[in-house]
Amino acid sequence: MSAGIVGLHAAKSGDVVDNSHFESIGLTDEWIRRRSGIASRTWFPDGAELADVAAEACAPLVGRAGDPSAIGALIVVSTSVRQRVPAIAQKVAELAGLPSSVLAFDMNAACCGFVYGLVNGLSLIDAGQTRSALVCTVEAMSRMVDRSDRQTACLFADGAAAVLLEDRAEFPRFVHVAGGDGGREQLMRETDAGGIHLDGAQVYDRAVRRMSDTARQLFAHDPAPSVLVGHQANGRILEQIRTFTSELGVPFVNRIEHFGNTSSASIPLALADELSTGSLSAEGRLGAVAYGAGEAWGGVSVSYRIPAAA
Amino acid sequence: MNDIERRITDVMLAKLQVRDPSLTREDLDRPVADLDLDSLDVVELTQLLERELRVKADLKETAGFAFLHEFSAYFVTLAKA
Repeated sequence: MSAGIVGLHAAKSGDVVDNSHFESIGLTDEWIRRRSGIASRTWFPDGAELADVAAEACAPLVGRAGDPSAIGALIVVSTSVRQRVPAIAQKVAELAGLPSSVLAFDMNAACCGFVYGLVNGLSLIDAGQTRSALVCTVEAMSRMVDRSDRQTACLFADGAAAVLLEDRAEFPRFVHVAGGDGGREQLMRETDAGGIHLDGAQVYDRAVRRMSDTARQLFAHDPAPSVLVGHQANGRILEQIRTFTSELGVPFVNRIEHFGNTSSASIPLALADELSTGSLSAEGRLGAVAYGAGEAWGGVSVSYRIPAAA
Repeated sequence: MNDIERRITDVMLAKLQVRDPSLTREDLDRPVADLDLDSLDVVELTQLLERELRVKADLKETAGFAFLHEFSAYFVTLAKA
């Protein structure tokens, strides 16, 4: 008996921005698609509060949980919340209808945030600290990038999604892998001038290696994942990982085309979108792998049973 | 052409043909700049050759190659080391 994912919901807020938006900075649709696999992405309106968007992702899961007081923890993962004090988790909890007794906190692990947040939430349940937990990712990367920067403006995007975690007798124990190398902090970083610096070739190389290796490490444990979802960093990275993990024999999800890189929100958004196509079973074992700034990487193998409306 | 060189050539040609299926082995002599390869293609090609030959390459080295035959010579050396 162990914790797993029993609900998943993606917020719908935001404006669709297609590639023609970037013609003003000299980027064509063809160039963006070739370099990233992205055709469109969502940006939140400038005035949108991230707590509101996060609550939009969480509230349906709270409603379906039956007894909100059973949800003892809410982890709000974000690298793009600009406000440090107060944290937004308490506001999200209130807006989503969670009880005031909930253990709610913010967490930032850049693009690894969902994986790391998931490990935290699952661990709280397996340790007997709560019967269920919510992990919510909310990102407004469009507010972090320099919108005139040809390398990053078209790549990063906004989004929010949440998962509900619960104990189930039929769920085998989750497994996680994590790692980091602070010596490579310069590969991806926020710049003093505002914007994100990416060492493109190095990041590509490291992301493919780390996410592929992490996926293989997850497969060393039973039960093996039935589907792999990688951080949706760039379509080229995802396709190379798909090639390098083909021997594992499970689907590797690439849904970046209409989402862009939403940092920590990318994995649950991709999983929700893939599930909506009907190509995946509503019940299985998720292998989620991520790589991002820090540098940090990690993966989690966790069982899921997600009803169609969840 | 020995077995290692043939495997390197096959990987390089397969990579080029993703962009342009009409390219042939003769095109491997053209400068990288003329082959519609971007910087990510160079990383991808490096990784694919590493995987094929089970070697570890230096990305800074391969990023500086102007011709594909430089990839070939470099990876032959790595494979024989």
